[in-house]
Amino acid sequence: MAKLLSAERLTAGYGDSIVLEDVSFEVDAGGSLALLGRNGVGKTTLLLTLMGLTRLKSGNLSWEGADIVRLPTFRRAQAGLGWVPQERFMFPSLTVEEHLSVVARPGPWSIARVYQYFPKLEERKQNLGNQLSGGEQQMLAIARALMTNPKLLLLDEPMEGLAPIIVQELLKVIGELVRAGEFAVIVVEQHARLALTLTREAIVLDRGQVVHRSASEELLKHPETLDRLVAVA
Amino acid sequence: MLGNLIGVLFDGIAYGSLLFIISIGLSVTMGLMNFVNLAHGAFAMLGGYSCVIAMTRLGLPFLASLPVAFVVSALAGVVLERLLYRRLYRATHLDQVLFSIGLIFMAIAGATWLFGSQQQPVRLPDFLRGQVRVLGLDFGAYRLFLIVVVVAITLALTWLIERTRFGAEVRASVDNQQASAGLGINVERVFSLTFALGSGLAGLGGGLGIDVLGLDPTFPLKYMVYFLLVVAVGGAGTIKGPLFAALILGVFDVAGKYYVPQLGSFVIYVVMVAMLLVFPQGLVGRRA
Repeated sequence: MAKLLSAERLTAGYGDSIVLEDVSFEVDAGGSLALLGRNGVGKTTLLLTLMGLTRLKSGNLSWEGADIVRLPTFRRAQAGLGWVPQERFMFPSLTVEEHLSVVARPGPWSIARVYQYFPKLEERKQNLGNQLSGGEQQMLAIARALMTNPKLLLLDEPMEGLAPIIVQELLKVIGELVRAGEFAVIVVEQHARLALTLTREAIVLDRGQVVHRSASEELLKHPETLDRLVAVA
Repeated sequence: MLGNLIGVLFDGIAYGSLLFIISIGLSVTMGLMNFVNLAHGAFAMLGGYSCVIAMTRLGLPFLASLPVAFVVSALAGVVLERLLYRRLYRATHLDQVLFSIGLIFMAIAGATWLFGSQQQPVRLPDFLRGQVRVLGLDFGAYRLFLIVVVVAITLALTWLIERTRFGAEVRASVDNQQASAGLGINVERVFSLTFALGSGLAGLGGGLGIDVLGLDPTFPLKYMVYFLLVVAVGGAGTIKGPLFAALILGVFDVAGKYYVPQLGSFVIYVVMVAMLLVFPQGLVGRRA
C-alpha cells in the first residue's frame, strides 16, 4: 500500500538560495507528524514545498503513489493537501461563511460540522476576514482547510502569537481532530512539547536538514535531547 | 436653467454609465492581476465594429447585435489572454504598458485596414430615437435606455460577484492569489473567465457607445485616458468604486463641456486631481 505522502531527498528554496537540503520523510493515511526545529531552519519552507510554492531543485514528492512534483498548487490542494498557512491569509473581502463556502469540496466536512467544532465562527459568520481577532483568524484558517476535506492537514505554527487561554481552547479542538484520525496531520510548532503531545512521529530540522527522527513520545521522554535539538542556543 | 441642469446631469449620467460598462473590466484586471492593460479600449472598439457588422452584413437589428458584440469581444479576450497577456503577468508595469500600447497600435492599424478611417454609422431602432417626455422635461430616449441597461448590468454584476461562488473565488483571488491557489481555487481559470467577462462588457459598451462616443479606428487611444481615469479615481478591483467614479467623471465632463466649453476636457482632470488628493486609494480602496 502506497504511503499518503512520501518526500524523498527534497532540496528546495527560493530563487537561487537553497533552504532545504536532502529532506526525506513519509506520512501514512491518518498519521501525524511533528515538524520541529529552531526559528529559520526551514520548517515553513518544507510545508510550502509540499504545496508547490517554492522552487524544488531536486528530489521526489509523491502523493498516494503518484508523482506530484509538477502538479500546480491548486491541484495539490484539490488532491487533499489542506494548508493552514502561518500568516493565516484571511480574505479581507470575504465573510467568514464565504471563506468556508468558497473552498468547499465534497466530503464529510460541511459548514454545519465546522461550526460544531468552532462555534465562535458561527457567531461571526457575517464578519469580514479582516474583522477577526487573532484567535478567530486561526480558527477560520483551520476551518477553511477542513472545508477542502483534506487527507493531510498542514498546520503551520497554529499557536503563534495567541493568548494562552486561546491556545488551550484551540489545542483542545486540534487534539480532537488529530486523534479522530479522519485525516493525517503535519504540525509545525515552535512550542515543541505542544506539537509532540499531538503527534505520533517527529522530525527535527536544523539548517535545512533532518537531524533527528523518532516517535514523538520518545522525544517527550528525553527532554535533554529535545532541548539540545530545539532550544535556542 | 434648472431644466438645463437636469438635462446636463442626465446626459452626464448616461455618459458615465457608458464609461462604467467599458471600464469595469479594466478595473478588475488591474485589481485582480495587477496588470496595466492600456489596450482595454481595443476590446470596446472590437465590440463596436462587431455590432456594425452584425447589423449591416448580417442584417440583425440593433438590440440583437449587442449580444454579438459581447460574445466576440469576450472570445477575443480569452484568446489574447491565453496567447499573450498571460506571459506578462509577472512582467514589470513598464513592459505591460509597452506591450498593451503596441496592441492598441495594431488594433488601430487593423481597424483602419478593414473598415477605413471614417466614422461608422449606427441605425438605432425607432423607439430609441427622439425624446421621451417625463414630468415636463425632455430626455433622450437612447440615453434613458443606456441608463437602464447599466442599472441592469450593475445589478447582475453585483449579484455575480457578491452572491455566487464564482464571485467569491474572484474576490478571494484578488485578495490573495497564493492563499486561493493553496486552498484549491484555480486562479488562472478564474482570471481567464474574468478577463473574458471584462472584455465582453467592454465590447458591449463599445456597441452601446457608437451613437454617443462614435466609432472609428482611433477609438482605443482617444478614450484610453477616460477608462484609466475611471479606474484611478474609483479604485481597482471593485464594482462600486468605478461606478461612482464613472458617474462623477461623466457628469463633470458633460457639465464642463456645456458650461465652460473653452476649458474643454480640462475640467475632468481637475476633478481627478482633487479626488485623488482626497482619496489616494480610489473612492473604494480595496487594499488596506
